[in-house]
Amino acid sequence: MRSWLWALVVLAALLAAAPMLDRVGLPPASLLETGLLAMTPLALAAVGECLNEKAGLVNIGLEGIFALSATVGVWFAEAGRSGYVGLAGGAAVGALVGFVLGAVSVYGRADQIIAGMGLNLFSLGFVPFLLISLWAFPGIHVFPNELMVPRLATPLGQVSPVTLAAIVLALLAHWVLHRTVLGFRIRAVGEKPEAVDVAGLRVDRLRLLTATVGGALAGLGGAFLPLGWFGALVKEISAGRGFIALACVVFAGLEPSLALGAALLFGLADGFASAVAVTPGVKERVPFYFVSMIPYVVTLVVVAAVIGRRRFPSTVGRPYARE
Amino acid sequence: MKESAPRVEMRGIHKVYPDGTVALRGVDLRLEPGEVVGLLGENGAGKTTLMKVLSGLLRPTRGEVYVDGRAVQFRDPKDALRFGIGMVHQVFTLVPPFTALQNVLLGQEEAPPLRPLPEDRAREAVGRLMEQTGLSFPLDAPVESLPVGVQQRVEICKVLYRGTSVLILDEPTSALTPVEVDDLFRFLRGLRSQGRSVVLITHKLREILEVTDRVVVLRRGAVVGERPTAGATAEELAQLMVGQVAVRRAVRTPRAAGAPVLQVRQLRVRDDRGGLAVRDVTFEVREGEILGIAGVEGNGQSELVQALTGLRRPEVGEVLVAGAPAPVLDPLTLYRRGLAHVPEDRARFGLALGFDLVENAILSRQRERAFVGFGGRLRGNVIRRYAEDLVQSFQVVAPSLWTPVRSLSGGNQQRLLLGREIRKTPRLIVAMHPTRGLDVASTAYIRDVLVQMREEGKGVLLVSADLDEVLELSDRIGVMYRGELVAVGPAGRMTREKIGLLMGGVRPEEGA
Amino acid sequence: MTAVRALRPVGESLATVALGLLAGGLLVWAFGYSPWAAYRALFVGAFGTRSDVLETLAFATPLMLTALTFAVGVRAGLFNIGAEGQMYLGAIGATFVAGMVRLPGGVHLAAATLAGMLAGALWSLVPAVLKVWRGAHEVISTIMCNWIALHLSMYLAVHFLAEPGRAERTVPALPSARYPVLSEESTLTAVLFVAVAFALAVYAYLWGTRAGYELRLVGENPEAARYAGVRPGRVVTLSFVIGGLAAGLAGASQVIGRPPAWSLYATLGNVATLGFDGIGVALVGRNHPVGGILAAILFGALAQGGRLMEYEVGVLSELVRALNGIIVFALAAPGLWNLLRRRVAR
Repeated sequence: MRSWLWALVVLAALLAAAPMLDRVGLPPASLLETGLLAMTPLALAAVGECLNEKAGLVNIGLEGIFALSATVGVWFAEAGRSGYVGLAGGAAVGALVGFVLGAVSVYGRADQIIAGMGLNLFSLGFVPFLLISLWAFPGIHVFPNELMVPRLATPLGQVSPVTLAAIVLALLAHWVLHRTVLGFRIRAVGEKPEAVDVAGLRVDRLRLLTATVGGALAGLGGAFLPLGWFGALVKEISAGRGFIALACVVFAGLEPSLALGAALLFGLADGFASAVAVTPGVKERVPFYFVSMIPYVVTLVVVAAVIGRRRFPSTVGRPYARE
Repeated sequence: MKESAPRVEMRGIHKVYPDGTVALRGVDLRLEPGEVVGLLGENGAGKTTLMKVLSGLLRPTRGEVYVDGRAVQFRDPKDALRFGIGMVHQVFTLVPPFTALQNVLLGQEEAPPLRPLPEDRAREAVGRLMEQTGLSFPLDAPVESLPVGVQQRVEICKVLYRGTSVLILDEPTSALTPVEVDDLFRFLRGLRSQGRSVVLITHKLREILEVTDRVVVLRRGAVVGERPTAGATAEELAQLMVGQVAVRRAVRTPRAAGAPVLQVRQLRVRDDRGGLAVRDVTFEVREGEILGIAGVEGNGQSELVQALTGLRRPEVGEVLVAGAPAPVLDPLTLYRRGLAHVPEDRARFGLALGFDLVENAILSRQRERAFVGFGGRLRGNVIRRYAEDLVQSFQVVAPSLWTPVRSLSGGNQQRLLLGREIRKTPRLIVAMHPTRGLDVASTAYIRDVLVQMREEGKGVLLVSADLDEVLELSDRIGVMYRGELVAVGPAGRMTREKIGLLMGGVRPEEGA
Repeated sequence: MTAVRALRPVGESLATVALGLLAGGLLVWAFGYSPWAAYRALFVGAFGTRSDVLETLAFATPLMLTALTFAVGVRAGLFNIGAEGQMYLGAIGATFVAGMVRLPGGVHLAAATLAGMLAGALWSLVPAVLKVWRGAHEVISTIMCNWIALHLSMYLAVHFLAEPGRAERTVPALPSARYPVLSEESTLTAVLFVAVAFALAVYAYLWGTRAGYELRLVGENPEAARYAGVRPGRVVTLSFVIGGLAAGLAGASQVIGRPPAWSLYATLGNVATLGFDGIGVALVGRNHPVGGILAAILFGALAQGGRLMEYEVGVLSELVRALNGIIVFALAAPGLWNLLRRRVAR
């Protein structure tokens, strides 16, 4: 697989660069730590979207789900006095939004790209609205530190349990997709919904299922942003990550396990940017603005360099209707 | 009523589509066990709709369905399958990258959702079924790699695997070679002898006469005739099927063909997946003749036509249009050399369905001097007058010039397209499936126009899967099989039987 | 008869907007405000006085341009959501020429406007080239370009264009590079006419020229375009560039055509989200330049009225942007309309 090769090349380059990074004051261990944090929301959303696209739907509203579930997740965490409640709340909101988007796509035969964009635009206004309505702070809300989901000490450094969950979920999704009857049907419905329909299976239910699961995973990732990583809520919290997750999906050719690798790649770029921005001795020399561009430039380069024309399920984004 | 209830009975079936189209107006149909019923009718007569109702894919607006005397209502195909009714659709419902076995298994996994796919168990069951019915195909190849005829066997097996005793086949022979058709019919007779019922949807009279026991003729959503096949004649059935339109033949004057307008030498073209679709084909088309190329679809005809018309880059070979080589095979260069193209799929290549008639009238002519004024401005008035003239000359029926062509009937779309191409005053016309899916009147009209072009001394390359069309129109006939032009000869020496064998890959001198 | 057919999409657009407002009303009500009072304030704020109407037009000006970016993309079969970033750079380009370069009056204004448009067009070439050359999907590439443009523009605004002594904004446009204010009671300037003229020019181009015809043909049916000898790569680039010019003009209009700042905020606060808002405007305007002008006035009214709604009723004007999303969402589903119609018919 070409994408795997690319990922390996980049990882090897990163490993080779590690000693150099160390010398300029960027310890590779902390880079990996941040990279894994940054990987988590991307991986969750990308894995869910892989399933969704395998079933023939497309959700470009991941960005909006990230922002909405981050906000609502913090609200749940404060109400339930626990970060885990927040994560659950975020996942639930994501599932709900995913379900609505799925229903509009399946029953309303919506243009899924436009519907997803509508969702993004909605959250662009609704999230700042919520921030002020719920906490009377425009732009930023800092919640008590004890609501953060605690990280686990591992040989790789401080790792969030959500990160481990994301890895397990990616492998689980791979297993479901390729080893079970359900996955068999999901792949069939994306390639040929007519076949699924005449076989007496429900096209609508399979697609609603993947839309909802995909939404829930993105929602979990969104709630993780403030509760597992930043420790605060800002209105631009998703910052293009929803679209980077989409890039992971394309990069991975809709394979959840490969999407995990892609998420790690983009996560490392993101983590690198965050690390550079806070490392003394480096941050003074490189303008902050350029550091902030790194994840987007990396995504742009990868999208342009690696992704040729891949084979996607023939019906992605097209509503199914019996004539 | 007979003493025992029929296997299936449909009574007073009406179907109105959401867009208001009335497809069925009170159809009755009976099916007995152990009979093959032919459902005969033109395109759009409602045959497929009726059977989609019976197989649970569509719900009737009105009317009842009885199975073994019991009233039933199918909400989806699974319900119909439960009563032993299964349908093989004209457009296959196979998942292309899945293996044949997986396709048979889909929906019949008989395992909980989160368990592995029980492929080994199914392999035995499918194997037994294949033995029983005489269907055979490789189980573990992705179906997209199988020939169409074999895919159809997979499709039939898929339906039978669900314990079907009423098998519905929608135009099953349209993509088959004559040899494959014989195999299929033998298989259907086998089913009949096992006491199962078969419905064969077709518009081909020969098939009805060859394999059915009883024939039901539909026209415009209603049954216009029903009789045992044994006493029926082809002429009588044709009359029922088309109504009052007389069956006609093209009139032409014998004439000697002129100079070649298209010369193709050793042309080799690959398909989208990189496979060889056209293998070193050589032929020519002369002024004042129609060269018809017959063949089962998917034998390289699409790729050949696309290469000749600049839509696909050939790998090697030489193409001369009007005697001069076409160095850059792009559509506009070829057009300037005198090529007109009626593409195989008008909605895909030849028209922009969302554009109105005026805009479609200049599609591919949009750069012509006559239509473009100073600074690249389109000359609206000139274009409108030209479109008006097209609509009149080619009898296009449309509410207005500003209607999107999407809302025109297929026949009117094709008249507009053909008119536009002919107004290019070409020396060579390449037409593929020019009458596919059209009503009788439009079909006749378009065939007339093609013959008229020949009379005017233009060269016509006609590529069609409709053998009757090729036989009716051509001066010379060639057959494509697996990317090769296996034979070209004067129409007089190419009989239907000979072409049929060639289409199936049998060379008469060796084979028969 | 033709008139009736032309009115149907208008009716559908208005119905969708009404649906969006209804959903927004529910949202307002859910957060404990009176939807009636909110919408009254919204309407009065947008159209209550002459100055409100002019202000509505001032808000509409950039929206009709960013809507054009999206609409020209759709007409060529692209989902170009890069207006946001192209607009930032347009604002930067205009600020540079208007604030840092000295030119005679008249020429200066034209130069600043052109600089904005060209900057937007240049930035639009990035996704265009990636699309044509590598097949990179524009949804992802334009969003990435937006974020890169955001940071790049902030960097340029802070490091090169900052007004000495005032960190929060760039140098203001020199008086010779400002569009004349039309009336003292509002911030509407003559840049409105430039925007309308540009939209009409694009309309004439798309429907009246050979190149415009080919652009729309690619969007309508790419295979038929190939049949007609159209090179899709050129059309893609052309569509992106027209969109970039429009977005760049939108950005410029907020700097050299909008008092009182006459400059760009370092946070880009006075242009942010105008590019995304254009998507909804374009869709309500049926991806037609003239429809976009009308829809922009509608959305301009929401933006202008939203201020009074916030002041009088306390409903945050951010909600108006959420409304925008709901409207787009509802427009996505033609099936919804058919469903509703069937329900009503029964």
